[in-house]
Amino acid sequence: MMSRAHNGLPGVALLVASCFLAPLMLGVFGTIWQAGSGDGLRAAITRLFSDPRLGPALNLTLFTGVVSSTLVVALTVVILVSAHGTRVWRALMAALPPLLAVPHAAIAVGIAFLLAPSGWILRWFSPWLTGFDRPPVAWTVPDASGWSLVIGLVIKETPFLVLACAAQLRSLDVDAALRIGRTLGYSPARSWSRLILPRLWPRVRLTFLVILAFNLAVVDMAILLGPGHPPTLAVWLVQLVSDPATRTLASTGALLLAILVALVAISVLMIEALLGHVAAARRRNGQRGHGFASARVLGQGVALIVMVMGMLSLVVLPLWSLARRWRFPDAWPSQWTLDHWVRRAGSILDPSLSTIGFAVLTAVLAVVAGIIWLEAERRGRMPRIDTLWYLPLLIPQTALLFGWQVAAIWSGVEGSWWLVLHAHWFYALPYVVLILASSWRELDPRWAHAAATLGAGYWKTLWRIRLPLLAGPVAQAAAVAASVSVAQYLPTLLLGAGRQATLATELVAGQGGMDRRSMSTLAVLQSLLPLLAFAAAVAWQGKRRMAASVNRA
Amino acid sequence: MNVLRPLRVLVFACLTAVPLVALAVEPDSSWEEVLEEARGQTVWFNAWGGSDRINAYLDWAATEIEREHGVTLKHVKIGDIAEIVAQLDAAKAAGRDSDGKVDLMWVNGENFAALKRGDMLWGAFADMLPNASLVKDSPSVLYDFSVPVDGLESPWGGAQLVLINDMATVPEPPRSASELLAFVEEGGRFVYPAPPAFHGTTFLKQVLYELTGDRDALAKPADAADFDDVTAPLWEYLDRLHPQLRGEGRTWPVNGEATRQMLDDGEVDIALSFNPNEASAAVRSGQLPESVRTYVFDQGTIGNTHFVAIPWNASADAGAMVVANFLLSPEAQSRKADPEYWGDPTVLDMSQLDASARDAFESIDLGPWALPIGSGSVLPEPHASWAGALESEWLTRYAP
Repeated sequence: MMSRAHNGLPGVALLVASCFLAPLMLGVFGTIWQAGSGDGLRAAITRLFSDPRLGPALNLTLFTGVVSSTLVVALTVVILVSAHGTRVWRALMAALPPLLAVPHAAIAVGIAFLLAPSGWILRWFSPWLTGFDRPPVAWTVPDASGWSLVIGLVIKETPFLVLACAAQLRSLDVDAALRIGRTLGYSPARSWSRLILPRLWPRVRLTFLVILAFNLAVVDMAILLGPGHPPTLAVWLVQLVSDPATRTLASTGALLLAILVALVAISVLMIEALLGHVAAARRRNGQRGHGFASARVLGQGVALIVMVMGMLSLVVLPLWSLARRWRFPDAWPSQWTLDHWVRRAGSILDPSLSTIGFAVLTAVLAVVAGIIWLEAERRGRMPRIDTLWYLPLLIPQTALLFGWQVAAIWSGVEGSWWLVLHAHWFYALPYVVLILASSWRELDPRWAHAAATLGAGYWKTLWRIRLPLLAGPVAQAAAVAASVSVAQYLPTLLLGAGRQATLATELVAGQGGMDRRSMSTLAVLQSLLPLLAFAAAVAWQGKRRMAASVNRA
Repeated sequence: MNVLRPLRVLVFACLTAVPLVALAVEPDSSWEEVLEEARGQTVWFNAWGGSDRINAYLDWAATEIEREHGVTLKHVKIGDIAEIVAQLDAAKAAGRDSDGKVDLMWVNGENFAALKRGDMLWGAFADMLPNASLVKDSPSVLYDFSVPVDGLESPWGGAQLVLINDMATVPEPPRSASELLAFVEEGGRFVYPAPPAFHGTTFLKQVLYELTGDRDALAKPADAADFDDVTAPLWEYLDRLHPQLRGEGRTWPVNGEATRQMLDDGEVDIALSFNPNEASAAVRSGQLPESVRTYVFDQGTIGNTHFVAIPWNASADAGAMVVANFLLSPEAQSRKADPEYWGDPTVLDMSQLDASARDAFESIDLGPWALPIGSGSVLPEPHASWAGALESEWLTRYAP
């Protein structure tokens, strides 16, 4: 009886796998096919490299991608070393998850309002401190060199790496390492660099490569904060792909971007090997050091700046959405209005509803698919394919989606809502599986054995024992899937053929031209949805924990 | 085996879901036939989506059209309609002559010229619309950037390049292209949107018109003229202008709306608009201070008419005609002319309207912020081919 109840499992798991692998194959080979569809791949490559726009776009991409990723690592190390175990660390652990949940586009809109010469920060200090009655002209946001984009990426990606490190540090017993270091006479900073970081890095290396790939290939944030003339390579490619005459060029460029990501990733691994040698030598030289206190304060300051900048860029959004008049140098709006919410309700509602629809369906389908896969894997029906799940996060979206779009156009399904849903699911599933996998695999099998002994079938065991025990990770995975869906810009744009308007597409399309107050309403909504999803997940877990403790009592 | 049953049900459902194929109307079908066929259709209107007010206006139009005619209007928000022209061009080349994704599009100028040249327009529907008889008889309605319209697109609104300044900071703004250069060289704050955004392209045409030695050449196709010779003064001017701009000629606003925001922020002193009433609408909604005024250069500024067109492979021709006709109705045109909603000048002839419709227009209060009526003449658009030629030269020179 037990075996019959779930004998469909391998079949369904196979369906999940093919729904995941098909776009991957279709995307990559579709892009390669499109690149060669003109006069062959060789001609396409020649054409790409003779295009005068390539060089500047490539330089800008390397600059923004490498500098932002380097800063993310550097800041993360500074934050870990200086703040771990302090009050600042506890503040970070509370403040960073919401920053992680909020989509890049919404944060980018806020950052622009913050950092512009007429932005919020300067408004606080003008004119009483700066003497500016009018905004200065020394810089612009976005700027031509790409610094605005770098800052945006650093503010958004540093929390990601810090939290990934925090999750790993729990199993590394940092306090013990620091104690040992202190006993041997090493300063805390040296204990970190000699005892903790070398063990931490291998565990977060892949997360860093995901960040690196993202920073090199990001589209929405690069449209909102990056320079336009030239734009980054990814943004230029998206411009090219909107014109059928230059789609071949776009796909060739997308392959180049994928290769660029791979090359930079390999360089990172080489630098890592090199640093490993240096660090090993330094570990053995036995030098002790001291003088950490002032550096520590400095490091905590850096941590606070990143955190506060991120939070301010979120706080400024509701303010602008309620402002009627807010001119430089006023620190606060001089007149308030609900107009941007009330009068625009009609045009906000549609994209909000479809955003919610995609988010809910994505969360449900991705969690169900993730559970099916992990169940099949647990029962030995499917192999572990952990590396494959990372592929959508490592391959630039352009390289996958251009090919997927070709296939969609060819089969006439472009623009349909389920295709967009499929793409959202495809990008959410890896996170869901990676979140669920460890708890799924670590769950004590004796629970299920006990249930089976008591006569519970497979489904009953799954439903009454496994899922309740794993409710926390499941809720967390659903919240992450929803927020991944809410943030999807390029898949919605390309596969939706402009017909599936979500908050993400409306927000990015409004770049530069749309009234700042209206941009803010969209950005508020876009950040609110993931925040609500996370609050719901946390609240639900809290309620369950309380119920469990009551039961125990 | 059981697996196959749901599959068969699915296939059956898909087959029956295919809409019944209706007999297609022609551009000259009777209006009753058009209305009948249009009922129940969905019209995908591809129109620039960069302005909230315009988007809200189209939301209103969609509600009215649904209620009056049972036609569903969907606004596909486009950044640059040239992208859609390119997509249609590809569909044409691929022989996709029906079930197109675009039913109606907002165009004029070089994009209309490209559509007409590529034989990508449905037919002479514009003169068949009942409300076409109300349209003002003006050259820019008959000739779109010197290209004969031939009923292939239906007029929607008028436009003129205008400048907006804040009297509180710049009480005496520059009144010609050369005064503008002097203004920025003395520290005045200005920037124009990067071509091919149409505010930017129009700014190039404006400067070219003022500075070139050969204005007659602009009325003819660009390749008939000595391009380098005609445009040399323009590039000389821009070479001097750019280092003084906001962003030093290295970063550019995306469109005219962005310059309006910068004017309110104080990052520039003069904003560009293609709508003589935009400042009036902006002041009312709190986007600009009450001290702004709208003006044009002393010699006048470039103006034109914008249209809606139906592609040859549109899926809902009848619905698109109903929408085009509604957009020309006195009701829709007077609301559009009101800065409260949009403030886009009408294409209707007041003398053709009945008293109540005329009242609707006359009761519109433009306020002191709009371009005063009768100030500054309208300069003709250069031939449609100039836009592309100027844009590509600009991109090569300033944004390689």
